[in-house]
Amino acid sequence: MSKRVFITGLGFVTPHGEDPNTAFEQIYRGESATRMVRSGTAELGSDVLLAQVDFDAADRIPKTQQIFMARASQMAVVAAEGALSSANLLDQDVDLDDCAVYMGCGLGGAEIIEKCYRTYYIRKSRRGRPTAVPLIMANAPASHVSMRFGLRGPAHTFSIACASSTVAIGEAFRAIRDGYIERCLAGGAEAMLNDGSVAAWERLGVVASEHADGPAASSRPFDVERTGFVLGEGAVVLMLEEAAAARARGVEPIAEVLGYGASSDAHNLTEPTAVGQERAMVAALADAGVPRSSVGYINAHATGTQMGDPVEVDAVKRVFGDHASQLAISSTKSVHGHLVGASGALEAAIVALALQASRLPPTANLTTPDPACDLDFVPVTGRTAPDLEVAMSNSFAFGGSNATLVLRKV
Amino acid sequence: MSAYSHLAEVLAEKYDVAPDKIRPEATFSDLGLDSIMVVEFLFDLEDEFDIEVPEEQAEFETLGEAAALIDELVKAKGG
Repeated sequence: MSKRVFITGLGFVTPHGEDPNTAFEQIYRGESATRMVRSGTAELGSDVLLAQVDFDAADRIPKTQQIFMARASQMAVVAAEGALSSANLLDQDVDLDDCAVYMGCGLGGAEIIEKCYRTYYIRKSRRGRPTAVPLIMANAPASHVSMRFGLRGPAHTFSIACASSTVAIGEAFRAIRDGYIERCLAGGAEAMLNDGSVAAWERLGVVASEHADGPAASSRPFDVERTGFVLGEGAVVLMLEEAAAARARGVEPIAEVLGYGASSDAHNLTEPTAVGQERAMVAALADAGVPRSSVGYINAHATGTQMGDPVEVDAVKRVFGDHASQLAISSTKSVHGHLVGASGALEAAIVALALQASRLPPTANLTTPDPACDLDFVPVTGRTAPDLEVAMSNSFAFGGSNATLVLRKV
Repeated sequence: MSAYSHLAEVLAEKYDVAPDKIRPEATFSDLGLDSIMVVEFLFDLEDEFDIEVPEEQAEFETLGEAAALIDELVKAKGG
């Protein structure tokens, strides 16, 4: 009989702060973390909508460690500490030697890459910073978490753009369920709001422009006036634990991870397909062993692009048939933005908290639904959901990688 | 103008070395810097003084010797 997997702790370094419960309340109330920010040099600057994290390494990371850590790693370590603390595993008499680390990360030390190019092309020096390579590598956040807490299980990094941390959590879930590991810090980290990265994202035409009602109104998934997403940053880590191990410690789980499914569109680098998304959701449901009608809430991938949102709606209808109009589906990117490599982890954490609280966070700014988007998107206002048992989280990435998690209330 | 005082400042500020440990005769090991940190430290100095420390010349044991080398390179540059 395969093992059950619980989420026993959460650590947040997000645009809504570091306390998961406070962040959930703000997200539930539809409070946006989007701000208009001046990004770039004096000559090439641009005003961009971003969901930044208020995180200064100077206050949080010892000086000598700062030298070796890009921002994504710094936030990852702080989020991991939050997860351990929240799971009552920090400074306790529990042997964490075998704990694994499965992290999602889209890019890595983005701001360090930028500095290196500056040294090479502008200062015209081949002699850049010696620590550049280990600071830039995408697996650095996972490594730093492992080093900081003495975790000697495998430290893996999944780089699948927007689906990175959903896959990380899913793969960690499988590894625990299949008995390879007992405990895992699973999540994601991304800090890609440096000038060069933001300029690159702008060029794709997927980044939101400011709505007439201001920055907070600009991320509008499913709404007729949506113009794209708001780039965010952050790190979110979940403690996943095998059920018996968690029970033995007497810890109260937050939610259970029930299933995981993944697929590829095999279609296009930036355009999604409903067929591919359907495949991932169906696989996740089969893995979870629950009927489709049991799903009460989906945290959508929906980023607020004109093209992407209706494809997910179509996919949900294909999967759920008549039940699609009975379940609730919201995109919390409407308030926290798109954390790319960390988005799956933040959204899975939100689903876990929603199950625990029996409350559904809204899709903020959804005042005029697109006719092509005609499901119950929990528009504008969150609501209670006393019967909520099973929920789903979707991440559909550039490159056509799709990943879905199914969670259950405990 | 001695580079020593600047080196001492960077060690205290960026590398968190306790001021009482910073002495000319201290080795980098005494100061708590491992090999990759020493390389990084050299990079900071090259950056600050706009010099290059050729590999053959980067053979100093103590802080005092490192400072002397920097002084020499800065002087050779005409700075």
